[in-house]
Amino acid sequence: MKGIYGLYADPGLAQQAVNNLRAAGVADADITVLSSEPFEHLEFGHRDAKTAMPWIATAAGAIGLVLTYYLLGASQRSWPLITSGMPIVPLWTNLIIIFEMTMLSAIIATVITLIVTAFIGDRGKLYDPEISDGYILVGVENPVDASKLEPALAIDGGRVKRA
Amino acid sequence: MAYRWGMAVDIDKCTGCEACVVACHAENNIPTVSAQQASRGRAMHWIRVERYYEGNFPDVKVKFRPVLCQQCDNAPCEAVCPTYAAHHNEDGLNAQVYNRCIGTRYCANACTYNVRFFNFFNPEWPKPLHLQLNPDVSVREVGVMEKCTFCVQRIKAAKTAAKAENKTVADGTLQPACAQACPTSAIVFGDLNDPNSRVARLATSPRGSKLLEDLGAEPKITYLAKQPWHEQDSY
Amino acid sequence: MIRPVMNTTVWFWAIMLAAGTVVACGAGAWAYQLWYGIGVSGKRWPSFWALYLTNFVFWIGISHAGTLISAILRLVNAGWRRPVTRVAEVITVFALMIGAMFPIIHLGRPWLAFWLFPYPSDREIWPNFRSPLAWDFFAINTYLTGSVLFLLLPMIPDFALIRDKATGWRKKVYGSLALGWRGTTKQWNRLESAMQIMAIAILPVAVSVHTIVSFDFSMANVPMWHSTIFGPYFVAGAIFSGIAALIIAMAALRKALHLEQYLLPLHFENLGKLLLLMSILWGYFVFNERLTVWYGNEHHEMAVFWATQRGEYAPFYWTMVICNFVLPIALLSNPYTRNIIGCVVASLGVVVGMWLERFLIVVPSLSYKALPYSWGTYTPTPVELMIMAATFAAMILLYALFAKLVPIIAIWEMKAGDFVQAPRSGVGAGDPHRIAAAAEPSSPGAAS
Repeated sequence: MKGIYGLYADPGLAQQAVNNLRAAGVADADITVLSSEPFEHLEFGHRDAKTAMPWIATAAGAIGLVLTYYLLGASQRSWPLITSGMPIVPLWTNLIIIFEMTMLSAIIATVITLIVTAFIGDRGKLYDPEISDGYILVGVENPVDASKLEPALAIDGGRVKRA
Repeated sequence: MAYRWGMAVDIDKCTGCEACVVACHAENNIPTVSAQQASRGRAMHWIRVERYYEGNFPDVKVKFRPVLCQQCDNAPCEAVCPTYAAHHNEDGLNAQVYNRCIGTRYCANACTYNVRFFNFFNPEWPKPLHLQLNPDVSVREVGVMEKCTFCVQRIKAAKTAAKAENKTVADGTLQPACAQACPTSAIVFGDLNDPNSRVARLATSPRGSKLLEDLGAEPKITYLAKQPWHEQDSY
Repeated sequence: MIRPVMNTTVWFWAIMLAAGTVVACGAGAWAYQLWYGIGVSGKRWPSFWALYLTNFVFWIGISHAGTLISAILRLVNAGWRRPVTRVAEVITVFALMIGAMFPIIHLGRPWLAFWLFPYPSDREIWPNFRSPLAWDFFAINTYLTGSVLFLLLPMIPDFALIRDKATGWRKKVYGSLALGWRGTTKQWNRLESAMQIMAIAILPVAVSVHTIVSFDFSMANVPMWHSTIFGPYFVAGAIFSGIAALIIAMAALRKALHLEQYLLPLHFENLGKLLLLMSILWGYFVFNERLTVWYGNEHHEMAVFWATQRGEYAPFYWTMVICNFVLPIALLSNPYTRNIIGCVVASLGVVVGMWLERFLIVVPSLSYKALPYSWGTYTPTPVELMIMAATFAAMILLYALFAKLVPIIAIWEMKAGDFVQAPRSGVGAGDPHRIAAAAEPSSPGAAS
């Protein structure tokens, strides 16, 4: 017994199922909603919306900036060669590379954060291939008592399944 | 005190004989190319004699100007090289390290004087020229930029010899191949940091000017020529 | 939309074979050049840069089709972007890969190209970070990395969809590509956040890439290169040629994969307007560039100016003006010709015109540098033309291959934008009223 879930074609019904589960005393974190598209206009689409991702990206960018600044200077001083009468560590030209590395650090940090939080951090097992036909899955994994939740999920226009 | 090698070329003395070009080829192992390749712009002459014509035939005046690497102080060729093949050395020369060159040819574009040359193919010498290669100068392979070095191999040898005697290189003892070969002594080479050297005095001559001076590369070669406004003066 | 992924047609193999042959010939030409040296190309003293660098700038310009446009449209939340984004982003990735090949093909000793990498080696020497070519290395790699990720991330939900629909080996392959995607709200929200951040980060990078490509020229004190206008001029030209390439790719896909119900006249109309705007902007930049040179009347620059305006390069110059300015404005300012055919014709003109523009930037300036004694004219050789043709074939090859392996239109994006109907509603797919509604920023939560 892995869990119990309902499949709904209508996002409104899925929202209703989520509300019913909450009313039945299921904690928000235990409710799984799976869909084949994002639903930004419905309440359940905003669960887990809070993320530190922009801050992680900014921090990584700042680290990239400082690191590149020092690495460039160190490499230029390690074997100082004069070209075109420019300084050994010319800030004008180094700024270009510092900018690129700042952006690259931010981009890579964003992707790593995404992979860690959304893929590696996804421990759930509940799934149904019918999601790819456009159905929305609302369910609970390893419920204490599945039969108690069945009425919450059984809404007209939905189908309840056990996995 | 460090050296700062420079040159003065007296255009009024130049006869356009191109002995300097031949001497340079022999001294620096510069490959020769076929006539067909030369017509496609693959000829390599570290020093060339530019000819400019004034007036209409038959009343023509020909002017010669030997052009070689100007060893600029603010050389535009150096900074654009991504591998430091072109850089400034301690004597103020534009050094070209062939082994570092990957052949972006950016330096040749940046050079205002077009005095940098590219090895489009592996070097070849028609017999018997292949028997007279200078052992002091490395041969460059395909894909590498090269240019006038002010005969850096001679500079090195002269500096080493002078250092062994605890002296500095005396003015006039050191000449690149082109200066040595010039029958009219139009080319004068020496240390610009030595105020008493011939080249340092010629560099401040009122007859002197720099090639494309307004572009700000600060070349170290002074061209000497009688200027129209000198008519009454006795330089 | 996943039909091309599941079934293979004869046409696919025909395209693969034809394009593959040209690419193989190009590879042969390159091998020939590697063996004998750059001398087999038409490069000469003083035209040390020519066709390869022209193509480098051209392809990097084409690459601005995708990620840049797609990022802008994503940030302003333009609903009509949804079927267009992936078509565009793929152009970016492949055009960048092809474009980045050219500096290596162009090198005298390409087997040492890795010396541009900043890595600690026993040579104890680092790249010269003052060189614009070192900047190119960083800019192009950042842009390529960002663009590949920008393309790949939204593909994951579509891989999951194919995993559920396919059987056999496809199920296994796409299953592993989907990285265990289930479609939880958390996954969707994280994906959307990541795409927003990436879009914000990639915009300045895209602008910087073509600015730095322009720096390759404007940093050198060469007549008509040494100009402050080059940065924005190159970026505008890049977006211009990028949109043209996008329109051509969309029209080709629409015909080849029968995407008539997703790639609508509306998309061509909108992109056509954008192309018209860029055409006017391009004309503005060229006028600025030419006027300042002509008025300044500096004799080094005037040699190049007249060579392009009246001299040996004049035929190319005036063809460019017609292709980039006259033709697009004539076709696209008129609502009756701003249809799919009109847009495609204008785009073909723009691609040709922008290639000529790159050629006219790279070649004439080097032919007419400051010392008249060193003037010289460049003519391309068959080797160079073969390699150039091979890159166009490579683009077609890679694009066809991609459209075969991955749904070229982001299916989940289409669902989210109500272009494709989930079983919940009876409105037909591609209903014009729905699309007009989707063009409005309808969901306030999307931009968070």
